[in-house]
Parts: sequence; C-alpha cells; structure tokens
Amino acid sequence: MGDYHSRGGGRGHGCCPPMDLLRSEPMQLVQIIIPIESAHLTVSYLGDLGLLQFKDLNADKSPFQRTYANQIKRCGEMARKLRFFREQMTKAGISPSAMSLTQTHIDLDDLEIKLGELEAELIEVNTNSEKLQRTYNELLEYKLVLQKAGEFFYSVQSSAIAQQREIEAHQVFDGSLDSPLLLEQEILADPSKQVKLGFVSGLVPKEKSMAFERILFRATRGNMYLKQVAVDDPVTDPVSGEKVAKNVFVVFYSGERAKTKILKICEAFGANRYPLTEDVGKQMQMIDEVSGKISELKTTIDIGLIQRDNMLKNIGYQFEQWNQMVRREKSIYHTLNMLSLDVTKKCVVAEGWSPVFATNQVQDALKRATYDSNSQVGSIFQILHTKESPPTYFQTNKFTLAFQEIVDAYGVAKYQEANPGVYTIITFPFLFAVMFGDWGHGICLLLATLYFIFREKKLSSQKLGDITEMTFGGRYVLMMMAMFSIYTGLIYNEFFSVPFELFGKSAYACRDPSCRDATSEGLIKVRSTYPFGVDPKWHGSRSELPFLNSLKMKLSILLGVAQMNLGIVLSYFNAKFFRNNLNIWYQFVPQLIFLNSLFGYLSLLIIVKWCTGSKADLYHVMIYMFLSPTDDLGENQLFPGQKTLQLVLLLLALISVPWMLLPKPILLKKQHQERHQGQSYALLQNTEESLELEQDHSSHGHEEFEFSEVFVHQLIHTIEFVLGAVSNTASYLRLWALSLAHSELSSVFYEKVLLLAWGFNNIIILIVGIIVFIFATIGVLLVMETLSAFLHALRLHWVEFQNKFYEGDGYKFSPFSFALLGEDED
Amino acid sequence: MGFWVTTLIFFLVGVVAALSVRLCCNGGPSTNLFHFTLVVTAIMCCWMMWAIVYLAQLKPLIVPILSEGE
Repeated sequence: MGDYHSRGGGRGHGCCPPMDLLRSEPMQLVQIIIPIESAHLTVSYLGDLGLLQFKDLNADKSPFQRTYANQIKRCGEMARKLRFFREQMTKAGISPSAMSLTQTHIDLDDLEIKLGELEAELIEVNTNSEKLQRTYNELLEYKLVLQKAGEFFYSVQSSAIAQQREIEAHQVFDGSLDSPLLLEQEILADPSKQVKLGFVSGLVPKEKSMAFERILFRATRGNMYLKQVAVDDPVTDPVSGEKVAKNVFVVFYSGERAKTKILKICEAFGANRYPLTEDVGKQMQMIDEVSGKISELKTTIDIGLIQRDNMLKNIGYQFEQWNQMVRREKSIYHTLNMLSLDVTKKCVVAEGWSPVFATNQVQDALKRATYDSNSQVGSIFQILHTKESPPTYFQTNKFTLAFQEIVDAYGVAKYQEANPGVYTIITFPFLFAVMFGDWGHGICLLLATLYFIFREKKLSSQKLGDITEMTFGGRYVLMMMAMFSIYTGLIYNEFFSVPFELFGKSAYACRDPSCRDATSEGLIKVRSTYPFGVDPKWHGSRSELPFLNSLKMKLSILLGVAQMNLGIVLSYFNAKFFRNNLNIWYQFVPQLIFLNSLFGYLSLLIIVKWCTGSKADLYHVMIYMFLSPTDDLGENQLFPGQKTLQLVLLLLALISVPWMLLPKPILLKKQHQERHQGQSYALLQNTEESLELEQDHSSHGHEEFEFSEVFVHQLIHTIEFVLGAVSNTASYLRLWALSLAHSELSSVFYEKVLLLAWGFNNIIILIVGIIVFIFATIGVLLVMETLSAFLHALRLHWVEFQNKFYEGDGYKFSPFSFALLGEDED
Repeated sequence: MGFWVTTLIFFLVGVVAALSVRLCCNGGPSTNLFHFTLVVTAIMCCWMMWAIVYLAQLKPLIVPILSEGE
C-alpha cells in the first residue's frame, strides 16, 4: 500500500546501481488526450512502439455499445473473407508468399471493396466449376453404364439368338408332332397380351449393392431380374464428389407398379440412373457422343481451374500484407474502443501504463502522429498519480526470457519486488546438474542444444511441433543445464558412469604390495586427497554406495541451507527496497536466526566433522540438542564449547519463534492507530486537495484494521516458516535421491548391457548391445531423467527457494503492440 | 594442491570471468552488475560443489574396499 512513485526513490540508493532484471521496470500511469481526427494514427503509432498498455475506460459498455463496434464488425468480415481465401489456397496447394517487398499502400475501404469483389468472383468461379465437375462426373458414370450394360446386352442377345436357333431347330423336328399348335401361335402372334419388360440401369455404391438387391427382390416379390457388374476403379460420385466403389446394375421388371417401386428404391439407395437403349448400335453411338462431350468438358474444366489458380496466386502475393493490415486495423479499433470519448466529441481520452523509460518515445510517437495526420491540435500527455498497483514488466532478452518464464509460471512478480529470475539463471541449471551429474550425458545434451542454438534463426521462423517448440524455447536453459552437468559430472567423476583419473593419481592404494587386504580391509590413503571431485578408486568398490550416500546427503543439505539463506537474504532486500522496517526486524532477522541456529548449525557440524575426521554421530548430536540439551556430549563432542553453543542456539531458536509471531501485528496496530489519530487532527486543506483526498478515501480508505485477521495471518506465516524450515531442508534431499538414481541407472546400463555384450566376444551380440545401450541412454537417461531432474529443480525453486521472499501476486505488462499480434490469432 | 590453493584458483577464475564478461558484454552499469551477479553466483555454486566433495574426502572414515571379483 502507499504511493508507488515515492517508493521508486528507493532505487539508486546505496553503493550499487540498480541491477537489470532484479526489479521490474518502474511504470507510470499516463493519460493522453488525443484530438479525434488523429486518434487512429496515434494508436497505430503507439502499436508500432508497443510500450503502452491501454486501460479499458469503457468496461461498463457491452461490445455493441462501443464507438467503433461497426468498424470491428467490418474488420471481422474482412478477416472471414481472408480466411476463406486461405482455405481455398490450401485446397489448391498454393501457399501465400512471404511479405512482398513492394508494400503498396491500400486504404481500408478500398481493401474492403477489393476483398468483396474477389470473394464474389471466387465463389462464382467455384460454383461454375462445381457444376461442370458434376456434369463431367455424371457423364463419366453414364459412359460406364453404357459400356458395362452394353456388354451385358450384347452377350445376352447373342446367347438368346443362339438359343432361339436351337429352339427353332428343335421345332423343326418335333414341334409339329407334339405341341399344341394353337398355343404356340397364340403367344407368338398376340403381342398385345405379351407382358412388356422394362428395365432401369445405373450405378449403385458397392457396399449397398447387397441390400439393394434384397430390397428390390422383396419389393417386386421376386418379379425382377437384376444384373450387377463391378466397376474396377472407384468412381467419383457426382453428388458428393467423393471416390466410391460402385456397381453398374440393370434391373428388368414388368409392370408400371414395379417400375415406380424400383425408381423409389434407386433414389433411396443413392443409385444414379441413366437411360439406356436396347439397340446395340444406338448404344455405340451414345458412347461416342458421351466421350466427345467428356473431352470437351474436361478442357473447359481445366481452363476454369487454371483461371482459378491464377486468381488465387494473385491473391497469394498480397495475402500476408492484407492479412496483417486487417489484423492491425482490428486491433486499432479494439484499442480505440477502450478510450473514452470526450463530452464535446472532439477528442478521446486514453489512459494506460507505460514504463518510465519510454516516456520520450511515447511523446515522440504522439508528435509524429499529430504531424502526419495534419491535426491542428497536438495530443496532451500527462502522468497520473494513482494508488493502483502497476503491472510488472521485465526487459528480457532471448537468453533470460526462458528463465523468467520459469519464474512467471509460478506467479508474476509483484511490482518491483525482487525477482528470483536473477538467481534462477544460475541456481536452476546448477541444481539440475547436481541431480544429473555425468559429463558424458552433459556433452550429449550440450550438443543437442547447440544444434538448436546454431540453427536458431532458421528454426524461429518455422512452425515446430509442440515438444520441439518447447525444447527450442528453452534452448538456453538447456544449454546452461548441460554445461553445469558437465561440471558436476567431472566432480562426480562419471562419464557414462565410468570414472577417469583426469586430475592426478588416486589417493588410495593397497596397504602392501601383495594387495591381500584390498577386498577385506580396504585400501589406504597414501597421497593427498584427490584434487578435483570424487576419487576414481571408489567406483565399483564395495564401500562406494555408503560413501556416496553420505556424501550426497550432506551435499544436499549444505546446498539447500545455502539456497534457503539466499532466499531469506533476498527478503531483506525486498524489505529494504520497500522501506519496511517491520519486515526487517520482525521477520527477516528472526527467520535468519531460526534457520541458521538449527540447520546452519547442522551444516557447520558437517563441515567440522569432515575437517577433523571425527567419528561423532551427527544425528545423535542434533536429536539430543533438543531432547536433553544440558547432557554431556561425550564422544560426540566435535569441538570445545559445543555444549554452550548448542544451548545458546537452542535458546535463540526458541526466542525467534515468538519474535516472528507477536511484535509485527502489534506494531502494525499501533501504526494504524497513530495514523488515524493524526488524521482526525489534520489541518483543513484547500478545497481541491481535500476533494482528491476524499476520493482517495472512498477508493481505499475503507480498510478497517482487523487485528485478529492480521494476527492470524502472521500466525500462519510463522507456523509455515518454522515447519517449513524442517520440511524444506528435508525436501532438498531429493538432490541426493535423484543424483543417486541417475548414477546407478547409468552404471546398470553400462555394466549390464555394454560390458555384458562385450563379454560374449560375438560381433552381433556386441552390436545389439551397443544399440540397446544407446537407446537406453537416450530414452531413459537423456530424456526421462532430464525431465524428472528438471521438474525437481523446478520444485526446489518454486517452493523451497521462492517461498522465503517471493509474493508473486503481480500482473504482467501486456502492451498494445503489433509485433505481439501475429501469434495469438493463429 | 590443498584446499586453499584450489579455492584461490576458483577465485582467480571468477575474477577472470567477471573481467572478460565486463569487457565482452559491456552494457551500462545496471547490466554489468547483473552479469557480475551471474558470474559470482555461478562461481560460488561451482566452488561449493567442489569444496564439499573435497572436504568429504579429506579425512576418510571409510576407505574403498575392492569387490571380490577384482
């Protein structure tokens, strides 16, 4: 609470200049009064600048009530047309060319007309070509029917003729003897009584053909004859335009009733019917005719397509420019809608947040806009004072951006609060590397990220897949992680789990030349300690695991205590920056004392134990420090005066808990009362100021001081810190667990896969072993382990580190900028 | 090489790194301070890691016991 501008004075005090990225940029609320004739251009220039976040001054109005609702609707319509063009282009396989070099300037109105014309033309061309295509497909089907059915007719006819001849030949012999002459004659002679056979021909989809036949059979009670022939290639259906496997069919029926039934069934089954003549000669003629028509249509369609493609290509040349322009205009009108119209309707008023450093740039943009729009009156730029909390804005570059995003994913920093991002840049990859320490794997990771970094320019313009995109975005984080992994790998002395004697000779050797005791008593330290990292002799020995466990556990605690202390120190800088002495004396100091009198002391004990080589049991020391602090330490004593020190530390820890809890709420209450008293005796101010003051009061003066609320808040905070000190320290043990898991896994892959395959002395088994090893290394160690170590490092930063000082309840600065426009819509 | 010698080497590496960053990427006092902080943090982390591992092996309570196979 309080005035943010006076607080900005906190900067620059002390020894050092302000640090980049530690505090968010100082912001100011600005008011700009723009003459209405230059409003559009002004907003456009400010969008180019991209350093002003407009406030919505018409929040109470619905989108339709706003001044420029109409223009936005027009822009939306144009955007729809452009989307239609894009769809057509992707269908035709034309990609819009990149921004053309010749930036012809078009008016928005002209563009609207042009887009409308183009759309109408394109739709017409499309409908025409669709019609033609349909006719073409129908003709193709017709041709198929003619061919297939014609074949059928021809074969049937020829067999019928043969039969007829046979019958005739038959009749010559015995017809005159047996058969009743009259009957035969009657049938042949009386065609009026003969049942007339009709037929329907067409195409039916193959998968429906069985059902089609069955239904036909039932509907006509078997009084029909169906002949189906499958068409070899799928046929384009004229109605749907899809490729479907079809059968050519011919149905013979008798009677008008059957005909209507059959026609209905055909319709229901989507069977296209085509007329057919019985006469074979006529059929041939028809085929010729249809083929002619088909080729004619084909050329027409091709010409139409070429015309359409040309049109789309022409659109493609300017598409990006238009698209961008429409987007810009739309966003400009959206912004203009946020401005409030003056009563006289001669000017608009804009309010917004802008970084203090951008003041000159904004003013310059305003001047240019006034000049370019030939406005008589210039815009008025003034800074407003407000109690509202400004947005948080960090100026990041491509390197720091990804780290800042890691922090922002947890919560955007409160305005000007210390940004953990500064330390995250180093500590995040470092803690990752503590869990991922293997310089072989580190090199693999580094090579992969270097690929991304060297091809940065090319890749950043491309559209990547989800996962690649994410990896690419975090390439610098990955690079730092890989570099620290190489370092910690050298410390752990692991290269794909194999140790090397890179930094001199091992400190250990056999006790005697025969080396008899090496497997029972162990080696003995003969030289000075291995200078850099873990001694290579440990690897593969029986005591490796106990040693590494003890080392890594203590390492985790030491690193954790150090990082938590850093967090608490940052809370001091926060309190100092915001000039909050209460937080320094009643939060920072007792917290520091509490953490260090318990876990700082533990860290001290660890180091003393290492330096002196004492055999004291640290668990025992720590536990009995609480249970019976006055008891004698006995053999667990590490240094003289330890008991007194422990008593003092224990007392300090006990004192610091109520110290954290009680004074702050009480002092806050006192402060509040003092302020209140002062107010009731304040001098009467002149009218203008008191008016302002009253306004201020109505906005935030309502806060009554609720002591119980403040106290409960402080109680929660204290409990959280006290319990957190224990649980957070324990939480750092994940460093130990994950780094152990990583090294064990990699040694399993190395020994059980690679060395085992090597032992067989068989080239094929060796190759298989190598392949399995490579895949296991990449899949499990490089991908999954990276992910899990990443997540654990993330947690350690978000929870264990940031909860010491970081509030993270700010909101991000989102300026009106054309440069940021492109991504959000696609 | 003892503990203090290596620590001195770390310190010197830090100084060299800070100076070279100052010379290579000079970008105004606030940016330089930022870079300096990064270098100091990195060197501190690396030094702590090394120092912890070094001290843990200074006076060993357990020694490597070779496994039977070797």
